[in-house]
Amino acid sequence: MIIRIDEYSDVPIYLQIRNQIVMGISSGELKAGEQLPTVRALALEIGINTMTVSKTYQLLKSEGYIMTDRKNGARVRKNIAQSGVISEENKTELRRIVSECRLAGVAKSELNKLIDEFYKG
Amino acid sequence: MNWLIKLVLFICIVPTVVLVYLIGFPKNLNRKKMIFGVRDNSKFHEGDAETKLEAIVSNHRREALIISAIVIAASVVMLFLPVTSVTELLWVLLVFATLLIAVPFGKGNTELKSLKKELGITRKGVVYTDLTSTSVVHALNLPWVVLPNAICLLVTVVAVLIDFGFIKVVDELPVEKYALTTMSLSLQFVAIIIIPLAIMMDNARNTVISKDSNINANYSRSKKKVWADIFVAMSWANTLFLIASLIALMLVNSETMIMVGTLVYIAIIMLVIGIGVANYKKIETRYERDTDLELLDDDDYWILGMFYYNPSDTRLNVEKRFGYGGTINIAHPAGMVITVLSIILLVGSIAFLIWSAFTGNLNV
Repeated sequence: MIIRIDEYSDVPIYLQIRNQIVMGISSGELKAGEQLPTVRALALEIGINTMTVSKTYQLLKSEGYIMTDRKNGARVRKNIAQSGVISEENKTELRRIVSECRLAGVAKSELNKLIDEFYKG
Repeated sequence: MNWLIKLVLFICIVPTVVLVYLIGFPKNLNRKKMIFGVRDNSKFHEGDAETKLEAIVSNHRREALIISAIVIAASVVMLFLPVTSVTELLWVLLVFATLLIAVPFGKGNTELKSLKKELGITRKGVVYTDLTSTSVVHALNLPWVVLPNAICLLVTVVAVLIDFGFIKVVDELPVEKYALTTMSLSLQFVAIIIIPLAIMMDNARNTVISKDSNINANYSRSKKKVWADIFVAMSWANTLFLIASLIALMLVNSETMIMVGTLVYIAIIMLVIGIGVANYKKIETRYERDTDLELLDDDDYWILGMFYYNPSDTRLNVEKRFGYGGTINIAHPAGMVITVLSIILLVGSIAFLIWSAFTGNLNV
């Protein structure tokens, strides 16, 4: 799975990595139980501080997407808890995206098409 | 300085110059992924920009060709000149003159960066990383590098023990005192450098060229394999040369034989590097069509396209843009120390050699 880091983005690097790993798990690019690189290896590979990657892994772990232990490092969780509800944070983000699309004159059907495409993974 | 030493210098300088020219200034340079250390961009090939690019490339290729021809011609002439303190100094200067071939490269780099600014190509600062191949792509079989160098160490210890009289092989050594120690320690020094270099190249960052992880892994692995093979071959050549030299020194002590051996050793090293470079080029050509990602635009961090200075990059070693292999990030704390030491060593050795030649102490 390829991760793309934009050094000049407004989104912090730890969040960019987190978002792309989540998208990778959702699309199936990262399979359940798949081993993730160690904090040090990933930091060296991207050329960033180990603390940044550590922060990403901590966040992913607290959100229930990955599990970490001393022996096996980080792995994608086999059973990710499914609450079935959209979080308030995501609702706000979705509202912003929909609003921007409406202002830009994007048709609702176009948005639905994209949602379908992304949902399929 | 006898004719053999001149020949050794000649076969060191000429292939180096030819290799540097071929690698740094290849044909159709304006169609390569890297042009004078600047990443190629589609905007370079539109309208007037294409003409400007071609002019920059052809001008600096011509300059490099002239410099290379002068250095080669000077080496040929020097081969036939009588040995004086002046010609000895000239040989030393000729060795350092090979560095001049990098000047057109640096100039080309500066001009291309200006062209980028003119065309409004801005720095994107995008890094790609392949999670699948992070830290798992290696090609170095460590025992294959450690084994010849361990033998080299063992032979060095034996040579020192023979020199100091702890081991007796022949009744009387036909060489000067400590000649075996000097010889073996100098080759051991090379052996000590090879192992960390081999590990460093094997642990270098994997280049992401495609959205397909298998392509990225294979590309990085094949490049690392070339380096691993070079280091293994160099280690064996080094060790075998040490063993052969020590036997020759202990039994015959023929200066001519040692010099011929040195010639063969250098020729083998040059051949190993030549084969490595050819393989590396093959890999680059093979994977050019698989490259489907617009790679990181970090041209501004490459001073003259040769020296990497990026304070926001925590890596110490990065892939070179002039030639093949790796170089250091000068902004890294360890990189700063290595750079300062290298400059001191380079300036010091030039100053020492010039001083020695002028005072008549340069007796090679």
